[in-house]
Amino acid sequence: MTPAVHLDTITKRFPGVVANDAVDLVVEEGTVHALLGENGAGKTTLMNVLYGLYQPTEGKIHINGIERSFDSPSDAIDIGIGMIHQHFMLVDPMTIAENVVLGNEPKKYGGLLVDHEQAIKEVRKLSERYGFDVDPTAPIEDVSVGVQQRVEILKALYRGADILILDEPTAVLTPQEVDELFEVLTELTAQGKTIIFITHKLGEAMEAADEITILRNGKNVGTMDANTVTREELAKRMVGREVLMEPQLSANEPGEVVLSVDDIFAEDDRGVEAVSDVSFSIREGEIFGIAGVDGNGQSELVEAITGLRSTKSGSMTYRGKPLEQLSRRERIGAGIAYVPEDRQERGMVMPFDLVENGILGSQRATEFAKNGRINWDRATEHAEDIIAEYDVRPPNAASTAGSLSGGNQQKFIVGREFDREPKLVVATHPTRGVDIGAMEFIHEQLQALRMAGAAVLLISSNLSEVQSLSDRLAVMHDGSFSGVVDPASVTEEEIGLLMAGESIDGGVDATLADTESTTDDEADNTGGKL
Amino acid sequence: MSRADRLRGRIRESLGWLVERSAAERALISLASLVFAILVGAVIILVSGRVTECSTAAFYLPYTSIGFCYDPVQIYLLLFNGALGSPFLLGEPGLIDPSWSVFNFRFGFTLKETTLLVFTGLSVAISFRAGLFNIGTQGQLVIGALATALAMVYAAPLVPAGLAGGVILIILGLAVGALFGGLYGAIPGLLKAYADANEVITTIMLNFIAANIAFVLVSSVFRDPSSSVVATYEIPDYAQLPSIAFPASSNFSELGLIAGLFAIAGLYYLLEHTSFGYDIRTSGVQPEAAEYGGVDSKKTIVRSLTISGAFGGIAGALWVLMQTARWESSVPALGFDGITVSILAGNNPLGVLPAALLFGMLKGGAVEVAFQTDVPSDLIGVLRGLIILFVAMPEFFRMIGKRLLGTDSQAPGAAATDGGDVDE
Repeated sequence: MTPAVHLDTITKRFPGVVANDAVDLVVEEGTVHALLGENGAGKTTLMNVLYGLYQPTEGKIHINGIERSFDSPSDAIDIGIGMIHQHFMLVDPMTIAENVVLGNEPKKYGGLLVDHEQAIKEVRKLSERYGFDVDPTAPIEDVSVGVQQRVEILKALYRGADILILDEPTAVLTPQEVDELFEVLTELTAQGKTIIFITHKLGEAMEAADEITILRNGKNVGTMDANTVTREELAKRMVGREVLMEPQLSANEPGEVVLSVDDIFAEDDRGVEAVSDVSFSIREGEIFGIAGVDGNGQSELVEAITGLRSTKSGSMTYRGKPLEQLSRRERIGAGIAYVPEDRQERGMVMPFDLVENGILGSQRATEFAKNGRINWDRATEHAEDIIAEYDVRPPNAASTAGSLSGGNQQKFIVGREFDREPKLVVATHPTRGVDIGAMEFIHEQLQALRMAGAAVLLISSNLSEVQSLSDRLAVMHDGSFSGVVDPASVTEEEIGLLMAGESIDGGVDATLADTESTTDDEADNTGGKL
Repeated sequence: MSRADRLRGRIRESLGWLVERSAAERALISLASLVFAILVGAVIILVSGRVTECSTAAFYLPYTSIGFCYDPVQIYLLLFNGALGSPFLLGEPGLIDPSWSVFNFRFGFTLKETTLLVFTGLSVAISFRAGLFNIGTQGQLVIGALATALAMVYAAPLVPAGLAGGVILIILGLAVGALFGGLYGAIPGLLKAYADANEVITTIMLNFIAANIAFVLVSSVFRDPSSSVVATYEIPDYAQLPSIAFPASSNFSELGLIAGLFAIAGLYYLLEHTSFGYDIRTSGVQPEAAEYGGVDSKKTIVRSLTISGAFGGIAGALWVLMQTARWESSVPALGFDGITVSILAGNNPLGVLPAALLFGMLKGGAVEVAFQTDVPSDLIGVLRGLIILFVAMPEFFRMIGKRLLGTDSQAPGAAATDGGDVDE
């Protein structure tokens, strides 16, 4: 059978870099093909070549056996290629139907007016055919991100796409929406469509794809059958060396108590109680993990500790002194490092360059400022150190935070916070969005901080991450700890029960429905993992 | 799905485009706006020249006998040439009038306006950079001017007349102007930081309060009874800022402009090279990140509005020291012009000088056009307004876009790709 897509030794050079180096890619019709690789491996560039956004420096493109060359995406669209970008190109106030037909509207009165009824009818038909559950008359701003993504797919299908390219389609989705997306992909291939999706997540590639092609440094390092390949094999090819899949904690005797939290209560932004009667303590050289479904009070708890939110009652002690009276700045100065959940709102100043972002939080520290004057030379060195140590790309301290990809922003923030020589590290989702090589490195750094005697509070919705890295593990549900367990002996099922608010003892025999819902939570929390 | 919603979508897109422009692109946009403003102004000149009656036409449409009362080319040349004191002989373009001297009256007038606008522009710029829409520079200027005039009038008998006394009085006047302007600026800062009162509303209201309090104080307590208008006594001659090379009648003192240049450099240094400036800039572009970075938002609000007020107060002090030698009730609207100057400068202290100069030139040139032609001053005002409107609007919409779209506008560049194009 003629493959739907055959990229023949595609090379794409940019001034100074080879983004794709003689890449071959064969995608069979009616299959899902995952394009797997680390951030910056050249996946998006290759797909932009296929979509006509870039012209290849060398190499040929064959679609259904016929050689093609595209001057622009409209050429690619004409012969049935559609691309769904990571950030949607939808007009928020317009309805789903209007967005889908935008640019190719059905007309009435001899082309004078847009035929809205016809548009709604066509979009509804298309949506039903592929089992998409969308209401064509709903405005984009009122529907979830998952539905918006389906609208993007509908747009491509409406233009007659047979080959769909999805760029990191799961990055913006909740775990449940990811499952729904994969069902949609199955339905599309069942009806003869061909799917290529770009990802850096091993689990997703294995789950959703028929075949997986791995790119590393712009080269194709192997195409494999998704049903038979192992995670370890994929990870090794992606990174180019053996990867430690499950970090192992080495033995370490915890020291003095660094942080102790006693019976604290805190409210969220709407004034609703979000943290209810939480108590715990962390010692030097100890990682205390908090697992739980997002939105169960973890954010508010972390903000209370780091000084971004006031507590309603209860007390916190940091190295023997009350913590509440310290301002945010004083807490930073006292050695509390914080990797925030929201890197684009809080963690970095988007229009600032990396030099400026490197001193965020230490703009008044004696290391960078004397008599109120910032030492920019020192700040530049500092930023360059972080960039080199944490492999931030592009390695240019003058680039703005906003120009970096999410994974590289995260690496920079983690680097800045971990390099403070902190006494207490509060790390919220420290590996969210980063590729597996960087994930392994961040895990190593967390352990190094632990061995150096720092206390670490690790919050992650990635269950295997908190479980394998923590000395002690608390599970948070509805604002309080539903249990504190030994991560070495607890099972995933038990954690799942705690995450749903059950107690381990009484909850095992709970109704089947509850058990199912907890298994879902678990899938949510492992889905984004390696 | 209404037409209005669709329009809203388009507006957001256009604002996003403006927000993402680079500095060089923004400079080109400003230049194109200037040219466009002149073209639109020319049409308006022609139309009004057609509907007016005059004995001889100043301008004929080429190859026709359709005449117009006003000549747009002449008006615009006069506007810019006049602002410099007419160095170019208009009949013979490119030729410099041999009798022209840089140190002429009209150019002095232009530079005096420029100097005052530098200070009001800086006043607005620092608060805008901190993310505070401070409209109160006018009120701070009024209060600063009054404080300066009163302090100098009542301190004058205590110091010896002459150079030494003059220096002491001038320093005193500037310091008092800055102090009272700063205190007046601190009021909306405190209200915002500790009572969550919107600074746009409070600063606008404080402008009215300043103007009326000053008027009442002067008319009932400090009035010079020999003056026909509501005004204080005059400060002594030796305590006024002197014109060195320019004619004294221009009211321009080179010392004022030099002070302005120092102020520009100082504010630039403050914003770019100090921890406090870092706090201000972070608060201005991303308050959430500032909070994360340990910036005390309350202190930053109060301090930046106090500095803003101090610059407004100094502008008022210089108005007294260079131009009026007293407080009088007809305070020019330099504080409001400062908003436009700052927006034009992209709220960058270094941009304030060219922006203030453009403004000053338009003011100086307008006087010259009114003087040399029979074009009504209202029409000249329209032409000036057009230039300011056109040149400032892209920057203004850019600021609105930044507010409205927040950091989202940076996000497409942030994570649109996995970096395949540049990361390798």
